[in-house]
Amino acid sequence: MTELEAGRAQALAPVRGGAALQRYRDVLIALVAFAVLASLPLFTGSKALLDFVIRCSAYGLFATSLNLLVGYTGLTSFGHGMFFGLGAYGFGLIMQKLGVPIPVAVVATLAITAVIAAIIGAICVRLKEIYFAFVTLAFQMLIHSTILSWASFTGGDQGLRGGIPRPAFLGINLANHIHLYIASCALLVLGLLAMRQIAQSPFGYTLRMIRDNAARASFLGIDVWRAKLTVFVLAALFASMGGMVMALFVSGAYPEFAYWTISGEAIFINMLGGVSTFLGPMVGTVLLLLLNDTVTRFTEYHGIVLGVVILFFALGLRKGLLDFVAEWFSQRRDAGEGR
Amino acid sequence: MTRTRTPGISRRSALALMGAGAMTFAAPWAARAQAKTIKIGMPTILSGRVAQLGTSSRNAVMLEVEKVNAAGGLAGRQIEMVVRDSKGQPQEAARVARELVNTDGCELLLDGEASSGSFAVHEVARDLGVLCIHTCSEASSLTADPKQHIPNAFRCVRQGIHDSIVGGSYAAAISKAKGLKKWATCSPDYAYGRDTTGEFTLYLKRFAPDVEIISESWPKLFQPDYTEVVTKILQAKPQALYSCLWGGDLTSCIDQANIYAMFGQMEVFAVNMADYTALTVVKNLPKGIHSGNRYIKTFPTTPENAAWGDAYKAKYNEYPTNWSWQNATAVMFLAEAAKKANSADGKKLAEVLKGLTIKCPFGADGTVTMRGDDHTLVGYAIGWGTTIPQEPYVPEVKAGDWKTIFELEAEWKKSKGYT
Repeated sequence: MTELEAGRAQALAPVRGGAALQRYRDVLIALVAFAVLASLPLFTGSKALLDFVIRCSAYGLFATSLNLLVGYTGLTSFGHGMFFGLGAYGFGLIMQKLGVPIPVAVVATLAITAVIAAIIGAICVRLKEIYFAFVTLAFQMLIHSTILSWASFTGGDQGLRGGIPRPAFLGINLANHIHLYIASCALLVLGLLAMRQIAQSPFGYTLRMIRDNAARASFLGIDVWRAKLTVFVLAALFASMGGMVMALFVSGAYPEFAYWTISGEAIFINMLGGVSTFLGPMVGTVLLLLLNDTVTRFTEYHGIVLGVVILFFALGLRKGLLDFVAEWFSQRRDAGEGR
Repeated sequence: MTRTRTPGISRRSALALMGAGAMTFAAPWAARAQAKTIKIGMPTILSGRVAQLGTSSRNAVMLEVEKVNAAGGLAGRQIEMVVRDSKGQPQEAARVARELVNTDGCELLLDGEASSGSFAVHEVARDLGVLCIHTCSEASSLTADPKQHIPNAFRCVRQGIHDSIVGGSYAAAISKAKGLKKWATCSPDYAYGRDTTGEFTLYLKRFAPDVEIISESWPKLFQPDYTEVVTKILQAKPQALYSCLWGGDLTSCIDQANIYAMFGQMEVFAVNMADYTALTVVKNLPKGIHSGNRYIKTFPTTPENAAWGDAYKAKYNEYPTNWSWQNATAVMFLAEAAKKANSADGKKLAEVLKGLTIKCPFGADGTVTMRGDDHTLVGYAIGWGTTIPQEPYVPEVKAGDWKTIFELEAEWKKSKGYT
């Protein structure tokens, strides 16, 4: 090792140590979060609350995966819902037609999603900004139309009927509400932890560089197309996981899961929660589902209420809730330090 | 002066929040404690493009529930309806249905969902074991397919296959009388449109084998412009046209076809025309459009049906829809079943509902039956007639023959592998 290299290694050591600490901190937080969520049924018999958490898992995975594209890479996808739909349909169809064990169906669905996402991504990530957004939307509509038209296979507009078989595996019976709840929490926590690792890895920082200045990243020797394609496929996998959780929750898959409105909801969730913090979309998910569930109990004019909320966030806060809170804390800290 | 306490949530606010939280979690138990009333949950579509149908379902249910409550309730328990919007989204329909049972303490479900939403609610009923009556979904497979069958779910709705059999035989008779051999079809491009058109033409050709379909048009659902479809039909020069467009799509298509004077050039068979939502919206309703009855107060031609239509109009200042009579019938079934079972318990009601025949203003012979083997409604008034531009809109309706319907339905089930 030359003297220069030794100096560099010394300088990097604390940084690496910090990263390792951060990683263990994330794992610890994930474990605590899972323990809290998993113990919830011990304290409450409210099935509605458990249902709420299951839905949060599905939408949370989906919305956070979109943030890997929007927030970290600067790729605003209007068609991300196609992977949510693919996950639901892939899993449902495999379980109905092949009757394989659930873990096999999950892995097979992820593999199918990865292949389709790689093909679609290879075309889309060459494009920028609005063109990327619209081509992803076009692919989503293609998949949605295929689901509707291929009625003999997908059930057409009536969706996958007859329920999704949920045979027990390794002592886990997903037909049991509590088991499904704990499995959903586990998938959510594992999914979020994996996405956090991606976001905090050197690859994650490469994505941020591409978002901020793709030309500069390219000049530094980064294969921008490959990096964008990789994150596109990874995000699709997590969205697909969200779709599988939703398919298990409703015991079916419906064309609405692959319609553009579901992508719109994910974008809305990101707007609500914020895109510059990792947990922003998760906060947005909880907010949106809470709003939806509360408002629809009292009025059918929920569209007006949600519209006002969007206006409040877009015009009032000008950012997502968690972004706003993070900024407020940082301003307070700076003020406290007399900067 | 410096602040000694950082601003935060006050003690009063904290207590209020804790109280609110406790009430939220205690709500299901509090709801169940009031056992004297029975809550019936109803997810339906109250927003979006088909909100009018969902609202008309709720109206009809409330009209009937008032009568049942005035007569002493469901086995002595007053009915309290909890109606909630599903926005027409299946995942939302499933969530709302679960919430109605698990949180609001609803003991029975009336499923006012169409298409995929009804299948989602069906799965909730399968999961929770709660008695569920589907009141809006016309998809035949919901009850015809044995894979769908569960002991606690029933369907109180007309069926696509019944309409196709009656429509096919009616159209074949006119076809033979007027020599209509060249036919065109124009239906919405999704499963309902394609299935219903396929079944209609199947039975049309069965009763009139020399009929030929020379043109098919499949406009998109909710398509605003029908110029291309209308000109395509006119160019093909058919002698007759079949359409299962519905609601706004049907009225838009008719308004635009009127510009081309299309209705003078061919006989038109539009199965979904004879519903007040379409009849009262079309600007110039052409004379002589053949249609199946959806809901029309002049068919069946009984004072009971006319009185029911008038009572609805008097209360809500609009005419009922097809969804209205179906929902009203579901409440009538519940009331009768509760009387027979002397109980409002879901399991006991389900036992009694199987094969139950009740008096009903919408029955072909004044009664309707919940068929025991597939838990579906039969014996309702079904027929076809021709329109006139003003009330009563469809003055004469030729009733379908239920004996023929049963025979051909059994054949159809066999062909689909359902039996």
